[in-house]
Amino acid sequence: MITDRRSKTGQTAVWQARLIMLVMINIAQLWILAATVDATLARNFSVLLPLVVASGICFAITLSIIKWWRPTSRRKTSSGYVREHDR
Amino acid sequence: MSKNLSDESDVRAATAPFQAEFPYERDEEAQVTRREFCNFLGLTSAALFVGAAGFAAKGALDARESVSLAAARIDGAETLGPNSSLNFHYPTERDSAILIRTADGAYHAYGQKCTHLSCPVYYARDHQRLECPCHEGAFDASTGDVLYGPPPRALDVIEVKTRDGQVWATGRTASTPKTRG
Repeated sequence: MITDRRSKTGQTAVWQARLIMLVMINIAQLWILAATVDATLARNFSVLLPLVVASGICFAITLSIIKWWRPTSRRKTSSGYVREHDR
Repeated sequence: MSKNLSDESDVRAATAPFQAEFPYERDEEAQVTRREFCNFLGLTSAALFVGAAGFAAKGALDARESVSLAAARIDGAETLGPNSSLNFHYPTERDSAILIRTADGAYHAYGQKCTHLSCPVYYARDHQRLECPCHEGAFDASTGDVLYGPPPRALDVIEVKTRDGQVWATGRTASTPKTRG
């Protein structure tokens, strides 16, 4: 039971961490979009590609967090999801 | 005749298997779960990436386009007094521009979009300069160069020629940003 409770607490922490990271990445992307608009209007074309690449990297990190970065107790194996007390 | 027993209108249909098999609090259905919020953030991230890429692509494409502009007469420019301005459109109806006749009688024309965030600039007679009301940028009326404020480059310059007493716009050139330091 104690292990279960610990596991639950750990999962909550991981979920919160995921959310915080996603929000931070969104804020960074918003800033990148603003910089892109600014650079385009200023005809400062040399910085456009790095900005788009940076936004793409942020999106890739977001995808990786959503798709693969999960609490370990819900890790999927060939025999189903592994739980803390099953180990 | 069917009678609606519930007055709840904003409740989602029970589509997931667990919703059909187990009872659940209907009030909680209106709440956003962490998983849904994560997915929403993922979609937002995708939208921001597409927005940045699209904006950059459009800007780069516009910069590569080289079009030869036809000359256009600026109506009403002949009657324009010194130290005053006139709005017109060049080269298309979507491109607003401003013609200025400075105190010495010379004509100068510029694209009306501020190079900072595209607010329309106006001619400030008292100071004899072009000013942007949004973020307090200012441009020289004779050259279009930035005097102060956030604009990173000079205004687009429209070439102006006088033929037989009429004022014509003959071309438009965009400036490049100057390095500050």
